[in-house]
Amino acid sequence: MQSSPGGGVAPRLSPVGRRILLACSFILAAALGQMNFTGDQVLRILAKNEKQLSLLRDLEGLKPQKVDFWRGPARPSLPVDMRVPFSELKDIKAYLESHGLAYNVMIKDIQVLLDEEREAMAKSRRLERSTSSFSYSSYHTLEEIYTWIDNFVTEHSDIVSKLQIGHSFENRSILVLKFSTGGSRRPAIWIDSGIHSREWITHATGIWIARKIVSEYGKDRVVTDVLNAMDIFLEIVSNPDGFAYTHSMNRLWRKNKSSRPGIFCIGVDLNRNWKSGFGGNGSNNNPCSETYHGPSPQSEPEVAAVVDFIMSHGNVKALISIHSYSQMLMYPYGHSLEPVSNQEELYHLAKDAVQALYEVHGIEYIYGSISTTLYVASGITVDWAYDSGIKYSFSFELRDTGRYGFLLPAAQIIPTAQETWMAIQTIMVHTLHHPY
Amino acid sequence: MQLRRQPLSAPRPGDTRPAAQRLAGPLLLLLALQGAGASGGPEDSGWLQDAEPSSRLLSQAARAALHFFNFRAASPSALQVLENVLDGRAWVNQKKEYKFDLVFTTEFYSTEEDEKRLGQCSAQVFFRNEKPRPAVNVTCSQLIKKERRQEEDYHLYKLMKQLKSPLNAVSIPDSHGYIAPSLRPVWDLAFLGSSYVMWQKTTPFLQYYMSQISSVKQWKTNDDAIDFDYTVLLHEFSTQEIIPCRIHLVWYPSKPLKVKYHCQERQTPEEASGTEDGSAMALTELSNF
Repeated sequence: MQSSPGGGVAPRLSPVGRRILLACSFILAAALGQMNFTGDQVLRILAKNEKQLSLLRDLEGLKPQKVDFWRGPARPSLPVDMRVPFSELKDIKAYLESHGLAYNVMIKDIQVLLDEEREAMAKSRRLERSTSSFSYSSYHTLEEIYTWIDNFVTEHSDIVSKLQIGHSFENRSILVLKFSTGGSRRPAIWIDSGIHSREWITHATGIWIARKIVSEYGKDRVVTDVLNAMDIFLEIVSNPDGFAYTHSMNRLWRKNKSSRPGIFCIGVDLNRNWKSGFGGNGSNNNPCSETYHGPSPQSEPEVAAVVDFIMSHGNVKALISIHSYSQMLMYPYGHSLEPVSNQEELYHLAKDAVQALYEVHGIEYIYGSISTTLYVASGITVDWAYDSGIKYSFSFELRDTGRYGFLLPAAQIIPTAQETWMAIQTIMVHTLHHPY
Repeated sequence: MQLRRQPLSAPRPGDTRPAAQRLAGPLLLLLALQGAGASGGPEDSGWLQDAEPSSRLLSQAARAALHFFNFRAASPSALQVLENVLDGRAWVNQKKEYKFDLVFTTEFYSTEEDEKRLGQCSAQVFFRNEKPRPAVNVTCSQLIKKERRQEEDYHLYKLMKQLKSPLNAVSIPDSHGYIAPSLRPVWDLAFLGSSYVMWQKTTPFLQYYMSQISSVKQWKTNDDAIDFDYTVLLHEFSTQEIIPCRIHLVWYPSKPLKVKYHCQERQTPEEASGTEDGSAMALTELSNF
């Protein structure tokens, strides 16, 4: 395949491998006191045709080596990632520009990234010891959330426990919080957030809701009634690899991080990988697409873990999947315009939930089936849930409607969580009062 | 044929009827030809009115109109965003041309939560053959007096001239959605430039939002005008793609905006590029930049 003379990083190296290599380079540099990556950038170039590709290959062959390919020139329209030392930046960019090669700066300063990683590694040793100093009005890293989960479970071990339901593609734990006051395999409500990693408001809302549940149990009539009869499962980080990536490299990453031999783009849209209408309209079979559905239903470990859990539990009665943005509350189907059999009931439940939400801060949500309200989307979580017998399956799209989009300011976390909670509560109460 | 009005109430239900768009097909049509009987409708034949246009489609058209409005107004202190569609009518014909007649409310982009003032606009939006860059005819109520707006623009301009260089600024907003107050004018100006690009790229099926300024290549203020070269990440909603666009604009208060751009389309297909002939024929300022 491709190779970069002069000891460049092989393009196929996984991001984890790349990071390890970066870290090793740094350690080596520190040891030797020589290498410094300050000002070095990683550029992403999209070559439009073979001619442009060969121009890039020319760069590859330069002696002394001027650039170092992280993802080498392969085919037109596939991105080429190239590390450029600071001293060569001006020349290389001029070269690219003069040949009409469009590029993007992926990493502005590698040294900054290395420093941040070093800082993060040091910081992980000083993690919080309790949830009382955890800020619910800030966004957190994966490590911070996982630490918070451990503390949270310890502090509320009477009703909360932590379950590991599987591992992500990059081998991170997939965790679920179980809220239960007893019984054995009680009818349950499933809530997930973070299936799309860039939707940070959803994880933040999940965390806030967890705390709300424990603080209201025994005090609030509704929560107490629900938890006395049902269990709640809450998966806060449904896509841990993607989430870590939004912190380290690409804030707007959506998919998971799975890769397959021979396929140059990474990641599957976890909300197109479910076994309901899989591969239909509103999903894409191009691995480079943001809505790539993956090679087959449930091919992704993050999806398989949830499927296995819910199927073996066998008594989940409501499923709520939280996304952003658009301000919508929706029910199946996404893959078809055909209404579900209890569409009337779901319509009215959604209407009530949205009204409860509105009464908190005056935020307006639209509601309806996914295909008629948002867009046709196939292989989605709630369609699968519904077809698996979970009558009350809902999908939220939280704030806002586009002004900030995925980059919702942290100041809106608590108001968003407060209003979303009222809608979720409405759904939980209805589920409680309509056993099946 | 009864004119369908969008109910103005909170919360609004989504449609109980299939939404139009998607790569699937055209609007779902109920009756045959309107013909001369249409109230206020076009007289040329072939236009079929959608009796129940989805709120999404109407919002999409309204946003397209607003992108154009913001670009034309060239006023970073008075950018408008869609608040709500009050009334909307949609037509399509066999040549796959789409036409919208809209009334909608707007609010200031840079508003603080408590000073929410609503403006109102009426617009006609026309897409030729599902292509981007719709022809737009839009009029908005004057939310602030022209002199006041010019003052605000000039104030922004002075702030911008004082900015040493946001070149070293990393993404705006940062990952947490935060924009430093001193960089707010940069964001507003970037949004103005992006409005042009988003207008150029919007089709009946593709709609864009500005997510983030990912880099600033150049920020020159030594001459009179602000010369701003930056990359913005646009979010296209139906495909969920993030599209980096390199934008180069030149702005001076009360002058028309000059802007060039190039977007890095990730993959192929159906959507037209910015260089193709859009639906709007007459577009002057741009080419000689």
